[in-house]
Amino acid sequence: MSKEKTKINVFTKIGNRFKNGINGLKLFFKKCGRETYSSMAFMGLGQILNGQFVKGILYALAEVAIVVYFALTGVKDFIGFFTLGTTKADAWLQLAGDNSVIMLLRGILSWIVLTVTVALYLSCIKDANKYAEIKGVGNVPSFRDDLSSLLNKNFFKIALALPLIGVAIFNVLPIVFMILIAFTNYGGEIVPPELVDWSFDSFRKLIALGDFSQTFGRILAWNFLWATASTAFNYFAGLGLALLYNKKCVKGKAIWRAFPILAYAVPGFITLLAFQFMFSNGGPINNMIVNNGGQIVDFLGINSKWIARGIGFFVNAWLSIPSIMLLATGILTNINTDLYEAARIDGANGFVQFRKITLPFVLFSTTPVLISQFVGNFNNFGVFYFLRKDILTDGYLAANDTDLLINWLYRLSIDNNYYGVGAAISLIIFVITSVISLIVYVRSSAYKREDTFK
Amino acid sequence: MKKVWSVVLAALLVVCACVSLISCGKGGKEIIIRVLENDTAKDKGYLDYLLNAFNEKYKDQNVKAVDANMDEYCDLENDGPYGYGPDVLYQANDILMKYVNGKHILPIEISELDCYEHIPQNAWDAYKANVEGRDVYCGVPVNVQQPLLFYRKDMLPDNWKTDWDKNNNDIPDMVEFWTEMYRYSKSIRDTDKSKFGYAVNLTNEYFNSGFLFSYGAYVFGNNNTDDKDIGLASGDAKIGAKIIWDLAGLMDLKCADESFTNARTTMLANGTIFANVCTPDITTQFLKDLALEYKKQGLSEEQANEKANENLILTTLPKLPKNGDITVEQDVTDETLWMSQKTMGGVNGYGISSYAKNREWSLKFVEFATSLEMVTKRQELLGIVPARDDALTNEDDIATKITFQNLNDGTLVVMPSISSVRAIWTPIKSCFKTIATDGCGKRTFSIDDMQTELNKMVANIKSQIETLQ
Amino acid sequence: MRKPGIRAKKVADSCLTYAILTVVSMVFLFPILWLVLSCFSANGSIYSFNGFFPTSFSFDSFKNLFTDTKTYNYPSWFGYTLLVAVISSVVGTLLVILTAFTISSFQFSGRKFLMKGALVLGMFPSFMGMTAVYLLMTQFGFINNHVGLALIYAGGAPMGYLVQKGFFDTIPSSIYEAARIDGASNLHIFCTITLPLSKPIIVYTLLTQFAWPWSDFILPKLLLKDRELWTVAVGLMSLPETEFARFAAGSVFIAVPIVILYFFLSKYLINGLSAGAVKG
Repeated sequence: MSKEKTKINVFTKIGNRFKNGINGLKLFFKKCGRETYSSMAFMGLGQILNGQFVKGILYALAEVAIVVYFALTGVKDFIGFFTLGTTKADAWLQLAGDNSVIMLLRGILSWIVLTVTVALYLSCIKDANKYAEIKGVGNVPSFRDDLSSLLNKNFFKIALALPLIGVAIFNVLPIVFMILIAFTNYGGEIVPPELVDWSFDSFRKLIALGDFSQTFGRILAWNFLWATASTAFNYFAGLGLALLYNKKCVKGKAIWRAFPILAYAVPGFITLLAFQFMFSNGGPINNMIVNNGGQIVDFLGINSKWIARGIGFFVNAWLSIPSIMLLATGILTNINTDLYEAARIDGANGFVQFRKITLPFVLFSTTPVLISQFVGNFNNFGVFYFLRKDILTDGYLAANDTDLLINWLYRLSIDNNYYGVGAAISLIIFVITSVISLIVYVRSSAYKREDTFK
Repeated sequence: MKKVWSVVLAALLVVCACVSLISCGKGGKEIIIRVLENDTAKDKGYLDYLLNAFNEKYKDQNVKAVDANMDEYCDLENDGPYGYGPDVLYQANDILMKYVNGKHILPIEISELDCYEHIPQNAWDAYKANVEGRDVYCGVPVNVQQPLLFYRKDMLPDNWKTDWDKNNNDIPDMVEFWTEMYRYSKSIRDTDKSKFGYAVNLTNEYFNSGFLFSYGAYVFGNNNTDDKDIGLASGDAKIGAKIIWDLAGLMDLKCADESFTNARTTMLANGTIFANVCTPDITTQFLKDLALEYKKQGLSEEQANEKANENLILTTLPKLPKNGDITVEQDVTDETLWMSQKTMGGVNGYGISSYAKNREWSLKFVEFATSLEMVTKRQELLGIVPARDDALTNEDDIATKITFQNLNDGTLVVMPSISSVRAIWTPIKSCFKTIATDGCGKRTFSIDDMQTELNKMVANIKSQIETLQ
Repeated sequence: MRKPGIRAKKVADSCLTYAILTVVSMVFLFPILWLVLSCFSANGSIYSFNGFFPTSFSFDSFKNLFTDTKTYNYPSWFGYTLLVAVISSVVGTLLVILTAFTISSFQFSGRKFLMKGALVLGMFPSFMGMTAVYLLMTQFGFINNHVGLALIYAGGAPMGYLVQKGFFDTIPSSIYEAARIDGASNLHIFCTITLPLSKPIIVYTLLTQFAWPWSDFILPKLLLKDRELWTVAVGLMSLPETEFARFAAGSVFIAVPIVILYFFLSKYLINGLSAGAVKG
């Protein structure tokens, strides 16, 4: 009953919105003047008519650039996105054919340009319309006014522009590429010069594979346990360490802090290799055990599921605590010392001060650390790759019992070149983990009450 | 308001437009051949020698061979098409041949090469592939890699001529027969727990899969070309697996990870282990460490080197009993009870990238680099086993003699050259690890358990090759 | 009666503190010490010692590292890594700080969407995107180019803005109010008030951005084909197993610039609000 009701509600909502949209458009066209229409014809014309020459020229230049791009390669790339190539290359005959993956990449780029073009056009029309209306009433802002507003009211736009472009190119684009790869048959034998095609084969294979879901379930469970446990431990240990180094009675703080920094300064893969050797059957730890009359302990061996997991946990703590300590030290400096003063006057002892002032403050300001640590640990590739990469366990499809999802993914996609299947798995993982972490994040106090300490 | 956005986006678009205009039209007059060699060849000075010799010979032809200066395991499939790969590359057969599918390396008319007749057909076959219905050869063999037995002569028992040479051929029985090796290793272990007789990393997939092959296993069916047929658990492979398990009983858990691989040269030098299996290119490292050890005992540099050369012996792997039980003594004088152990080997050689700027000169370079003079020099500097039979001039070169013999009689099983081969290594390693771990610990496996483990390994490989592909 | 009690408590407290500090320091120092000592071992192999530490020492490994550069050109790798690290730490820190500051102190439409988006994108396994990054760089002609590599590091850095935003969230907004009333622009506020207050977090960001190129070997391996142009991490990973001493020496030496940078910056690390002139 209620389900149906919401359904109807949603439909009426969408219907209403659609109606409103059409009405709005009608109204818009009725109202707008020649400035708006000329901006529709060619970007920037409207602005020039409005007397905003620099802005108008900038818009016009953008349009020229867009046209040049599409004329030169954009249209071809856009079509290539759908065909993914039609002629196969033959290196022996020096026949330069189509490279499907490059075409896919360029296709995505052309989509991005297309979207940007549409957005630009809309903004240009809106802008022309807005100032055409203002022009009749008051002053149209000069280019200089626009610039100064960018330093002030709209500072965020200028500040975010560069980071957003960087992230878009180096993070978002590759992710979009990989997600699309999941819907192709790329991988295995089908890599350039073979032509890649759009297909759902990867997902079909995953569903057909009985072992797959079993392995996936086991690894996912361990992955969550790992991420939660190591995040909690590293976080509190790092925080504790920072508080310890901050104590008044500690002399030579910089020196004491240097020890964990030293650990931080040696690259992770090197310490991981060193630890792997230390815990190996012929390594120094086992040497000592044997010299003292003991038996070799198979720390990372084929049957040492929980010992190996424990060692991974310890090694990961060793690697991540220093950076958390460093960060917490930085954040702790922002704590308002007046509060302690007041508390001391009120006669609160050290522990009460810690519980009432330090802890809430630290917990609040480091929740983001907690989240990014969780994300980092969830996708922690290095630890078990270096400690136990040679082992496959029964009951796991091409994985072992300490592998995290990311290790498994690596075995499947990089070791064996199954890009399509790898991308499909990572898409599934990605959807699950991002939904979970999104829910946790939105509910966290750092997200809900960002300005507690402001 | 949107100006900054517009400017930045416009700039971005201009960049995009420019990218499509970029064309690589650099034309130098001199023909450059970029050669990728392995790190050892570079380190020991062979590459310089080769390049200089080539450039000297063709100095008036306006051609120059240079070091490609890339990672020795470069990825031609991903670098070549974009112009970043080498022109000529030296690789193991499985690596070189995985490029054939995408036609990333060129077929070579081998019968027109000088070296054609001097290289055994078995070595050529490592570079044979069937492309679009015809057989092509895509590489020229230079060196054959196979595991050999290394041992210390001065660690043999003093009375070996009387007590350990029952067939009176002046070869100690423990390095000639696996049963004797087992017995000798056990006697060493029984007297001193910290010492080992035969000690290797039993998880090494190259050195130990020979035990499986000897009793009927194979990698892929139809001469290593059919990846639907995985034969690693076929025949009496379980007997081979049990030998690995028995050998593990002579060692400790160090055999179940990389410990013996990492420490083999130092352990052999300081007398912790008596014998080890390795490829001949590590010989120099063994000699170096052994000489260092002798020097510590007070010998001069020269004496130490001489003594190391005299006492480090490399030889063919011991013979296996046909019934597969190495734990009981068998009559070593009766030849019918014994067979040679098969080993997995590889053929390293040159291939030519399909993206080479100048194919004729690249081929000329390969021809030059596989000439008798160059291969002999390579053998001299790097201690490798050449694939040319006429390079076998030095009668004392045991490694070369053994390898040729093995290559010809089929004892040397050359690694498959099809691309699915990359799916086999981790499962094999993991399976050997399971067997070795049990063999030197609980020792609960029965012969049927061996078969189960092998079957699991094959299933693992199968699921990676077939189900996902 | 009470005073000596408190003093005794204090003494006990600092004894306990120092005891914990010593233990913690040992835990962190020991593996590093082991690594350092093993690269001074005489025969250049860690597999030869029977206990934890070598028995005889020599400087050969370090000498080889810097003089024997024919196949393994460590000095060149080191120089290039330094270049990449410096560019990526400066540019990356700027981008991260800008992002974090903006998101922390501005309310604009799409802000929450950006925050959620960054979180979700961060969950994607990064190496899956490597193929795309490589293809992209071949299209831009950025192969064998260190600036391109540094740009990737810096460009991706704002994804980790969350930590820095957490810091900015703790700066009381009352500090800004006064300046706003005086008519200062946002850029002015950012440069004269926010930046000086954020030294600790800037130092932290600089350090992390600086340290990452030293330990990443996947991306540079993909983008730098020429051996001379490699970064230290790629070079070390390419060393054969027989070169362990060189490997250890090379890895220990990486720590030098990072540790120097730490000591150079450490006084700013604790130099935030509480030590600063302005108090909420």
